[in-house]
Amino acid sequence: MTDRFFSFSLSRRRLLTATSALAFAALVATAGVSPAHSADGGDITFLIDSLGDTWIPNNSAISSFQGHIWGHVTDKLLYVDADGKVSPWIAERWEQNDKATEFTLHLKSGVTFSDGTSLDASAVVANLDIWYAGRKKEGINPIGLFPKTYDHAEAVDATTVKVFFKKPTLGFIPTLGYHGSILISPKTLAQPATDQADLSKTFGSGPYVVDSWKEGDFVKLVKRKDYNWGPAAVGQTGPAHLDSITYKLVSEQSLRVASVQSGQADVAYNASPQELVSLQDEGFTIATPRYLGFVNGLAINTKLPPYDDVKVRQALQAGINRQEIIDTVYTPDWKLATSFIQSNVPGATDHSDLLAYNPEKSEKLLDEAGWVKGADGIRTKDGKELSLTLHSNPYLATSKSIDELISQQLGKIGWKVNIQAYDVVTYGEKVKYGGPAVPAYEVTRSFIDAGTVAGILTNANNGENWFALDERDQTINDLRDKIASAGSVEIRAPLLDELQKYVLEQGYFIPRTQIVQRIYAQSPKVTGVTYNGVAYASYYTATKSE
Amino acid sequence: MNSAYRTYAAKRLVQAVVVILLAYVFTFVVVSILPGDPITNVLRNPQNGFTEDQIREIIAAQGLDRPVLVQLWSSFSSFLVGDLGLSMRSHRPVATLIAEVLPSTLILAFAGLVVALLLAVVIAYGTRFLPKRFGQGLLRGFPSLFLSVPNFVIGLVLIHLFGFQLGVFRVIEPDSFWATLFAAIALGIPISAQIAEVLIANLDHEAGQEYAAVARSRGLGKARLFAKHLLKPSSLPVVTVIALTIGELLGGSLITETVFGRTGIGSLVQRSVSTQDLPVLQAVVSLAAVVFVVVNLIADLTYPLLDPRVKLLGTPERRPATADEGSSTISQAVTS
Amino acid sequence: MTLASSYSTAPATNWLTALRVPPSVALSLAIIVLAIAWSLAPGLFTSHDPVNGVPAHKLLGPSLQYWFGTDHLGRDLYTRVVYGTASSVSSAMIAVLIGVIAGGFIGLLAGFLGGWVDTVLARLVDVLLAIPKFLLAVIVVTAIGFDTTNAAIATGVSAVAVFARVMRSEVIKTRQATFVEASFLLGGSRWHILWRHVLPNASRSVLPLAVLHFGDSILVIASLAFLGYGDPPPASDWGLLISIGKDYLKWPWLVYAPAFVTIATVLSVNRISRWLRKTD
Repeated sequence: MTDRFFSFSLSRRRLLTATSALAFAALVATAGVSPAHSADGGDITFLIDSLGDTWIPNNSAISSFQGHIWGHVTDKLLYVDADGKVSPWIAERWEQNDKATEFTLHLKSGVTFSDGTSLDASAVVANLDIWYAGRKKEGINPIGLFPKTYDHAEAVDATTVKVFFKKPTLGFIPTLGYHGSILISPKTLAQPATDQADLSKTFGSGPYVVDSWKEGDFVKLVKRKDYNWGPAAVGQTGPAHLDSITYKLVSEQSLRVASVQSGQADVAYNASPQELVSLQDEGFTIATPRYLGFVNGLAINTKLPPYDDVKVRQALQAGINRQEIIDTVYTPDWKLATSFIQSNVPGATDHSDLLAYNPEKSEKLLDEAGWVKGADGIRTKDGKELSLTLHSNPYLATSKSIDELISQQLGKIGWKVNIQAYDVVTYGEKVKYGGPAVPAYEVTRSFIDAGTVAGILTNANNGENWFALDERDQTINDLRDKIASAGSVEIRAPLLDELQKYVLEQGYFIPRTQIVQRIYAQSPKVTGVTYNGVAYASYYTATKSE
Repeated sequence: MNSAYRTYAAKRLVQAVVVILLAYVFTFVVVSILPGDPITNVLRNPQNGFTEDQIREIIAAQGLDRPVLVQLWSSFSSFLVGDLGLSMRSHRPVATLIAEVLPSTLILAFAGLVVALLLAVVIAYGTRFLPKRFGQGLLRGFPSLFLSVPNFVIGLVLIHLFGFQLGVFRVIEPDSFWATLFAAIALGIPISAQIAEVLIANLDHEAGQEYAAVARSRGLGKARLFAKHLLKPSSLPVVTVIALTIGELLGGSLITETVFGRTGIGSLVQRSVSTQDLPVLQAVVSLAAVVFVVVNLIADLTYPLLDPRVKLLGTPERRPATADEGSSTISQAVTS
Repeated sequence: MTLASSYSTAPATNWLTALRVPPSVALSLAIIVLAIAWSLAPGLFTSHDPVNGVPAHKLLGPSLQYWFGTDHLGRDLYTRVVYGTASSVSSAMIAVLIGVIAGGFIGLLAGFLGGWVDTVLARLVDVLLAIPKFLLAVIVVTAIGFDTTNAAIATGVSAVAVFARVMRSEVIKTRQATFVEASFLLGGSRWHILWRHVLPNASRSVLPLAVLHFGDSILVIASLAFLGYGDPPPASDWGLLISIGKDYLKWPWLVYAPAFVTIATVLSVNRISRWLRKTD
């Protein structure tokens, strides 16, 4: 019996070699005819740690796992590249009024969803409406980051959409390139939630369509042959090259990496940073694209003693050895934070000098603030220990390791650091910005436009109030208002620079490192992958050599 | 079939149904202790950027802010008519979700049981007929060793050795023959220990019996003796133990599926647990209870028919409490 | 029906022969003593720090300096195992105590009082028995939150039914024994009989089961920790260490070392409980 199985696997291997040889011969043959598509064909397997919870487009994990699939199955109105540059896609051009309350989008014509419905102005209106409002009774959520100032949209003609807002909404245009703004067939959107939850009943206009899927197992996408409306920014508008992409769920990190190493799969998502160096040495391609957004760091609760004392916050800022975090937890592919926003965001400025590791300065600041080192090395003041509770962010795999390392670093200065790691459920319940037991909230947040920062600084206008400042800091209030009302990037740039310097000096935000939330370890055979502004890998432009 | 038996059967049937319904309610009560639900969890993900007011509004729109008892009644009343409801996590019917993954778990559980039985027989045979110098005594220690190794460790070692070092199976194709076989080995090893202990105890017992001595004196070959005279009478209590290991197979598959990356009931439970997907958990627990109760019901209802000496009691005491009283307890319970 | 049979049939072994400990049992005892020592005074067995490592020494193989090698943060794995013992051993203890006390109490009530109390409790026990033990533990730990103590409680809850069943049948058996009947006839109070006769007799068979369950609980709690339902790092429960190690399969000692310690401990507990039963 054993023999039979061995011979079976052998013959299958031989068969595979034979087919790939044939495929290669076919490739060579076609190469002469049409050099542009010399590398067409091929299938890749992408190993991913989760396929999210539900496939209802609005409710799915667009920002983390399912975004990979949506990125191939659907298109967006606009394209935002890794440097935050906005360019046309389904919307060929757009205009706005002076107050930024009315926008007009001019659509490409001839675009269709894979169920045959055309992607016209009315389809865009249907999408805008459901992004804004969802259908809450049915369990379809709104898209959380869609501007809450949306009023309504109307189809002027088949290719023109007018969008109206209740208040000035400069962020609307960049939002259209954000990962949440995926265009879905209006027929799909009209379906009840349970049908939307079945991925095979959902249709987009993207370069790939869903071939088959199984919950918690895999999603197989196949190329759409008549696709002809890709974003010009990636240098390709016709159909994709690869025949199929299979997203396969493998929850064990080590298994994903080892499978790619042994040639059983082509891409491993979220490899452990530790393994990247050896993978690179073995010739695998490592991609650590940074998304546009905040760096990974701590938003300090300025209401909670002792962090109401600027000296303690500054001591914290100087007491963290960020280089050691990169050396120990990460690899040189990770970049030191230069501000509290990622350095690839347009408008980010370099404030590395404020983030230098300086334990002497830190100790001095704490001495000045009255925190005295005890025999056990922990500082106290009025009988209270200098403590810091870190709640490891469950959305970032390396978060716990970094917290453990920071605990060691701060321990030397006299801090007592407690690490509290909750699962996603408990974390969502207990850990909030400015929470009574949360001195520091660990931020991992992407955004498309640097103007977003105005919304997190205070609690005005439903702001998120990250630092629990309310409206106590006049400097912050001024900068917030000026940034929110800035009419152009040129006016906004110096304001943003001033804000970054101030926030870091005050120790409101303690950056750790620039964030890489998506790590790709990929077979060298796969080339031509593009990464967009939210660090998603697109295989639309990719090819695979045998 | 007399009326006493019919009354007994009816009583057992009612008890079985009550247990299943109680298991459903029990799961609801236990899972409801902790605040939070899959829908709120999604809304709270900081990347989604919902405000607290928005979250409250959405929760209210779906009736998740109703009193717990009202929610329990609405789910319980649909369970009574066979409706398992919708998964709160994926918004798909629970019955569909379970139907999708059940075959994979059944295959693994069955393969695991086969592995466990084969191993148990080999060990039991070895302890009786393997010459001392080839480690007969050592074999007796196997069940104890098997019971001491966490099955995720067995799984990790198998994957490491056969999946990566030797390349016998592709780790990302967990449903392939070889991958299933190794998963079944990881699942079956701890269970084989329990069956082997019962077998060994019974073989020891039966071997001491007269007819074995007679057979031996007639010069039967060892193997034939084992098969014909010893294995057969020993297997009756083993059947009981197998019935009781069903729960273990399901529980073990929870870990084995996770380690091997199989998509089955175990991984469904894992995903549902991490998001507190109550309807799915209730359905899986009820399903497990149904399987357990049905198997035991069949045993209870057939015993009086097979053996007239078994008295018709409300709660039969002759079967062992459960497999996890410790395997030696079972062997004693079954033999006594 | 249960363990009681082994007591009635076991010959009253000479205490002296009992003292002649087989070598495997002696080794098991030594391992358990070491594990207890590790959990009581871990600092005596290692000079490294379990939480703070030397980042530059990350992922080193086993050596004289680092017996089990180092982990991804440069911490000595042997030290982490030693410091994780207390939590691993004590959580198993908690699980067994919950099982014995809650299960024993339910079984005692059901068996001693009988009637409708017995009927109601029997259904409760049936429900607990009908749910696979590990599934039950997973659901309970989900409900009360993920940490090692809660995992221990969940493991204990999943064992309640077993102890309740055994206790109940032992109580019924003892109650029907001649000397208890006689005591009733002599006019002894219910509670006196319960305390003096039923409890001591019934507990004789529950206690060895408890020892056996101790080893089992270590495994169940390790499994829960492996699935991420235990304490988070920098805790170093054995199951958690294995779970962290599986992410670094290239450095296999991260899995093998804690796995070896776990297996050795559970094996020793099982060996001892077996030996105790034979010599009792």
